[in-house]
Amino acid sequence: MQSPATAEAAAPAAGKPQQQTPDVVIETRNLSKIYRDFWGRQKVRALKALDLEVRRGEIFGLLGPNGSGKSTTIKLLLGLLFPSSGRALVFDRDATDVSKNERIGYLPEESYLYKFLNAEETLDFYGRLFDMSAARRRERINELIDMVGLQWAKRRQLKEYSKGMTRRIGLAQALINDPELLMLDEPTTGLDPIGCREMKDLILKLRDEGKTILMCSHQLADVQDVCDRIAILHQGELKELGRVDSLLKVQDVTQIRAQGLSKEAEAEICALIERNGGKLLAMENPTWTLEELFLNIVRESEAHPGRRAQER
Amino acid sequence: MVVEQEVLPFLAWLPNALLIFAGIVVGMGLVGLFVGYLVAAVRHGPGEGFYVVAGVLNTGIPDLVMISPRRTWAMARLAIQESLRNRVLVAFGVFALILLFGAWYIDIRNDDPARLYLSVVLGWSNFLILILVLVLSAFSLPNDIKYRTIYTVVTKPVRAGEIVLGRIIGFSAIGTVLLAVMCLISYVFVIRGLDHSHTIELADLADVTSGTGADSTAVVAAGQSATRTLEGKSSFNAHHRHDVKVTITENADGTKSYRAVADTQMRHTHDIQVVEGDEVTFEIGPPHGALQARVPVYGKLRFLDRTGRPSDKGINVGNEWGYRSYIEGDSQARAIWTFNGITESRFANGLPVELTLRVFRTHKGRIEDKISGEIWLKNPNPAKSVETVRIPFVSAEFSTQQLPIPRKLEGVDAEGRPLGEIDLFADLVDNGKVEIWMRCAERGQYFGMAQADVYLRAADRPFFLNIAKGFTNIWLQMIIVTCMGVMFSTFLSGAVSMLATMASIVLGFFTQFVTEVADYVIARYPFFRRLFELQEEQGAPGGGPIESAVRLFTQQSISTDLDPTPANAVMQAVDLVLMLMMRLVAFMLPDFRSFSTVDYVAYGYNISGDLLAQHCAATLAFVLVLAVIGYFCLRTRELAA
Repeated sequence: MQSPATAEAAAPAAGKPQQQTPDVVIETRNLSKIYRDFWGRQKVRALKALDLEVRRGEIFGLLGPNGSGKSTTIKLLLGLLFPSSGRALVFDRDATDVSKNERIGYLPEESYLYKFLNAEETLDFYGRLFDMSAARRRERINELIDMVGLQWAKRRQLKEYSKGMTRRIGLAQALINDPELLMLDEPTTGLDPIGCREMKDLILKLRDEGKTILMCSHQLADVQDVCDRIAILHQGELKELGRVDSLLKVQDVTQIRAQGLSKEAEAEICALIERNGGKLLAMENPTWTLEELFLNIVRESEAHPGRRAQER
Repeated sequence: MVVEQEVLPFLAWLPNALLIFAGIVVGMGLVGLFVGYLVAAVRHGPGEGFYVVAGVLNTGIPDLVMISPRRTWAMARLAIQESLRNRVLVAFGVFALILLFGAWYIDIRNDDPARLYLSVVLGWSNFLILILVLVLSAFSLPNDIKYRTIYTVVTKPVRAGEIVLGRIIGFSAIGTVLLAVMCLISYVFVIRGLDHSHTIELADLADVTSGTGADSTAVVAAGQSATRTLEGKSSFNAHHRHDVKVTITENADGTKSYRAVADTQMRHTHDIQVVEGDEVTFEIGPPHGALQARVPVYGKLRFLDRTGRPSDKGINVGNEWGYRSYIEGDSQARAIWTFNGITESRFANGLPVELTLRVFRTHKGRIEDKISGEIWLKNPNPAKSVETVRIPFVSAEFSTQQLPIPRKLEGVDAEGRPLGEIDLFADLVDNGKVEIWMRCAERGQYFGMAQADVYLRAADRPFFLNIAKGFTNIWLQMIIVTCMGVMFSTFLSGAVSMLATMASIVLGFFTQFVTEVADYVIARYPFFRRLFELQEEQGAPGGGPIESAVRLFTQQSISTDLDPTPANAVMQAVDLVLMLMMRLVAFMLPDFRSFSTVDYVAYGYNISGDLLAQHCAATLAFVLVLAVIGYFCLRTRELAA
């Protein structure tokens, strides 16, 4: 089997700053971050000369183990951290330029929201930070609360919310300004499987609306499900960059899926493979993923309340 | 009341204040740039550091100018909601408790209960509101950073300036509402606390008319009116009773008219209405005179010593606090106040002089006897050589006595020859100036006075306005503390910024003392003596902190000079720099002692508009400077670090 590391060579050449094209929403040039202590001594080199481009309309995933520099990259792009060297550009502006925030939405790793506000007040507060009229703000708040399914709890203070509910309202605040670029830090953490599915569907829907999404996650399945391109970071360095489909494609293995074949037909296919010099790796019935099974049960239960799930 | 610093008219004060403000702003700007460059140079290297500082300035100045009121108000609303949901109203409960139970502890037998009541309500309001805004402002931003809620805020198009200003406005708004309610409650508490009444029975009054009985009847018979005077005491209420004097005038037509007055006890008196019916009864009005706002006109004080030679100060009788000077009795020593702006329109009925003298006795005599003195007016123009006859008085120690000087007086010339009746404005006032001279008449006894101890009571202002002005001064302090708390919290943790703000408040209360301590060292250097206009005697032996420590450990006396070694020279230079910095810090901090006008209200003096205007201007200056420092600190801080 070939290593996926050889995939796409379309990434920008490292260390060569170039003029940002209109299609490039995020660009980092030689971006490095060193954490220092009070006395200026180096503690951690969190990011090493990262060169990255995120293009308009794509879902870009940042992957890596803990401490690989994913969150640092997002924080540098948001201006929450300042680069030790190199540059981070968002919409062709420096990441520390506040005006870029007009066009971005950010969902942090945990929903860092004011617990003493209720859902409506939360969205109203964040809405006021944008140039939105009161009427537009009200309309948008209603839309978003509907979208994240919290109409029933919109008057409750966030301190009474469950983790999943807080994530939902966190997502709503990230979308309050209808942003062109969304930065999502671990978007599915804390959500139940239905919430995860909805989040992933929403991410895809937002992409279809022409928005750009940058997300980082440990949930590799989620990344695989939604991301167009991914970058894999390890110990602050970029290890891999490319399209998910081409990165994951196993070039020399062919998979055939068919329905309604008899045992004889299966034996014939095996013989055919052998005749052509191929090697049969597996022939078996596929299994559902646990997520698919769970979602099917829940859907069925909602359609027929009280009935026990059918045996499969 | 002690008035250590003269209050200049606002417009006379402003130019100098603006100059100092500009100096501080420029100085702090330069220091800020230098420190900013040093930090940037350490992080990014000397060349790149320059560009970082230039970048911060380049984006910072437009950021500050283009502050959005909408976003600032959103941040302010958040601060208000945060305070309310964090049970800020508990402060109210504490205030209510203090008022409920405080009344038990107020010594209502005191001579001046109004002063006690006012000191309590103003003092506690001041303390509570400062503590409240201190906690609110110092912990809010650090908590946002600690719990990372700041991430979702700064990733919106909010400028650091709007975050800082929004918090200042929000917490100030909360404090303002709380303080306004406290002011209202205080006013009602004081008025109700002091309210009381007495009763007077006609039967309890004794007739003290001279020549009562047949004489008066005879006068009435002759077709004229006659008067009778009754005297007695009112009932004992609120720990005192008043002496009452009733004058009954029997008119020629047989009708009687009554006039009743009560004397002044515990700084107040009552109006008495006489109700004539089958029986004569008295209706006693509410107390008045306890709550007042006198407008004093202060003069300039100078002295003549015991031989009659001019001197800046009188005698120091051994008090360390040199606020009051003393004049010797039965000698040529005089205290002379020169008053300005004395016009007929202001003082048509003469000069309402009020004085609060101290007495220093060198022999006991009869300790209950008051010490006598003389006071007289003099035309300040020596060519005119006109003065009034000497008006004798006895000192009422520790309390303010009134000594109204009528417009028409007997005059004498410089040699004491009588000039007949003279007019205050025609003969004694020269270009709006008049002098009040005072001597102590008893040998071996001394009168002590400060400039503010003798004044002309030009008018009275409404008391409610004065208490409102007192609370306005508390409000101004609250604004400064809020700004300080928010400013410190942009770069320190919550607890540390609260400590830093508290330290600034404490230093602010003792700026004078800190400056004096710094001057012990600074005044030893002739160059700095000239620079800060200090006297050589303001220096003290022993040196600054390092030198003192060295002397302590090496057991060297503070009166011996150290050996002139290079090490000692360096040590003393470092001490000097430290003391100069301490003086500078004390100079820049708000002088909270001057902001505190509780005494004005409590002692019944009007808070002058000039003083209030100066405090408002100074507060505005602090708000501007602290908000800008807060902006740059937050702007250059890595919030996710």
